[in-house]
Amino acid sequence: MTPGKGNSRPAPRPSPRGVEGEISIALPTGMLLPGALRLLSHAGVMRLSAAELGRRLLVERSGVRVILVRPADVPAYVDHGAADLGIVGKDVLWESNGSHYELVDLHFGPCRLVLAVPEESKLNGPETWPPLMRVATKLPRTTAAWFEARGQAVEVVRLHGSVELAPQVGLVDGIVDLTASGRTLRENKLRVTATLGSSTARLIGNQASLKTRTDAVQAMVARLREAANHAD
Amino acid sequence: MPGFRDLLPEEAEALRGAQESLLEEMRRWGYRYVVTPMVESIDVLALGLNAEQQRRLFKFSDARGEVVALVGERTIPVARLVAGKLRSAALPLRLCYAGPVLSADEGRFHQRRETYQVGAELVGASGPAADAEVIALAARCLEAAGLRRYQVDVGHSEFFQGIMDAVRLPAAVKAGVRSALAARDFVALEELLAHTPLRSAEHELLLRFPALRGGAEILEAAGGLVRNRRSEQALAELARVQELLVAHGLGAVVGLDLGAIRDFDYYTGVIFEGYGPDLGRPVAQGGRYDRLLERFGRPAPATGFVVQLDLVWELLARGGRAPLRRIDAALAWTGSGQATAMRLGSTLRLFGMRAVVDTEARRDREARAWWRAVGAENLIQCRGTKTVAWTAHGGRTRSLPPEQVAARLAGALS
Repeated sequence: MTPGKGNSRPAPRPSPRGVEGEISIALPTGMLLPGALRLLSHAGVMRLSAAELGRRLLVERSGVRVILVRPADVPAYVDHGAADLGIVGKDVLWESNGSHYELVDLHFGPCRLVLAVPEESKLNGPETWPPLMRVATKLPRTTAAWFEARGQAVEVVRLHGSVELAPQVGLVDGIVDLTASGRTLRENKLRVTATLGSSTARLIGNQASLKTRTDAVQAMVARLREAANHAD
Repeated sequence: MPGFRDLLPEEAEALRGAQESLLEEMRRWGYRYVVTPMVESIDVLALGLNAEQQRRLFKFSDARGEVVALVGERTIPVARLVAGKLRSAALPLRLCYAGPVLSADEGRFHQRRETYQVGAELVGASGPAADAEVIALAARCLEAAGLRRYQVDVGHSEFFQGIMDAVRLPAAVKAGVRSALAARDFVALEELLAHTPLRSAEHELLLRFPALRGGAEILEAAGGLVRNRRSEQALAELARVQELLVAHGLGAVVGLDLGAIRDFDYYTGVIFEGYGPDLGRPVAQGGRYDRLLERFGRPAPATGFVVQLDLVWELLARGGRAPLRRIDAALAWTGSGQATAMRLGSTLRLFGMRAVVDTEARRDREARAWWRAVGAENLIQCRGTKTVAWTAHGGRTRSLPPEQVAARLAGALS
């Protein structure tokens, strides 16, 4: 702000949710997007192609606003009330501790969080772990908590991509990563030695939206829950 | 530093204005103002905070090697005060306070680590009348700060505790249910309850927790489902609090929320949250905490709340209703007009106006440029003692005696 503007009245900020009574839903880019769009379509909420949403990022139709954000940002949008609801993988929720409500297991986008080591490695069960384990991952919080719960000292190396590469070049003993089919791990000559958890897509909700616009938000939650259960 | 920021005049003044309105409302209700230090011994704070809350404190050691922390809230310091320096003061005590609180968590997004709170505590009074008093005070505080639309959700922590007593589940599952609810993870909750064979009314209530909201009718609906004294007692108390809030004139803004999820270990009775329109977080929150004072050696029931000033400001700014605090008059002068400018400035301030007198002689275009930079409503140019040139924002310039200008500005003010 420039000093000369110090006394001017702030422009009224548009309400982040636009029209009153409108429901906004944050969807994640990437793997879960097709499933999320299918769910919205099955629930009769909105028919929307990934291409269209990808181009416009924000689509508003008949009282529903859909926004497209990075998976790791979905909890932030929901926690801050920029979206009433969000669809996001459980793996993202493991890493964030927000004030949102985790409402429904949507069942699609299943994957496992695994500890994998090079095929030739001697590491296997906890009894074979070294006194200080070095692990690369994109999910440092979950990884550290899991080893800590098992009394294992661990040095977590946080990487942002190509985690599979880290053990091959001697950076770490193993990796903790998400896998759906295990193919990427096999291609990189990695062997799964433990499963830390299983993830699927979840529906999360903003605490204030659930309280101040209970009926509209709960109705939308019920529709999405219904659609998710029928898709099984 | 991330999470910390300067507040420029517009926001800083609005925050201070909101703080004063809140404290003034609390004063009208007989709450006395106290100040507790920014720093507390970790041993004191540990008496009231759980491990996670302690982790979030800004901690350091003082010169004697004692671990101290910057306060993250002020209910615990006030409890220390009531059980310490005020231990001979008769209960109930009504106290209020204001100030910044800190969190060591580096939040994502635009989350702040330094926030501003105004709070009130009613110590030594139990029962629905005391609960209703602090809820009504919280609501009136939001109004005093300028919020026209808000709602207050009232719940009861004992309703949940009673269900947990009554529900027939293995201890391990019960612990899981508690932590799932504390984490607001209803997927985990459903899973835990799906794997238990016994279905009961309590199961249903737990599963429907986030939807247990409504008016007085929800108490009856829930009353038909619970069969334990603790929950029934909670419902009876809530019904009474609701009646009293209607008597306080707040029936229209109060809703009941039996699924309110708060710190279950801390709160012992009626709890509440205040929400403004379209803001993702509660702007005020509080409740009954009857077991905190005994940890300081003076057992006493207590209830209270805090208002998050930052969020009040956000709501006001969003509605375009942030209080406008302009400078009323910029007084420029040349030559013998300087003394006139000083005198007129004093007169305007006596009327409660904000007046700035220039520090150097300026005329015509330079004076007008200075006026714009100051951002005042009126420019008053003083060139002599008899008359001054008065220009209102967007108006024409008139030549008048200084006392007439003062009278007209004061008239416009009232």
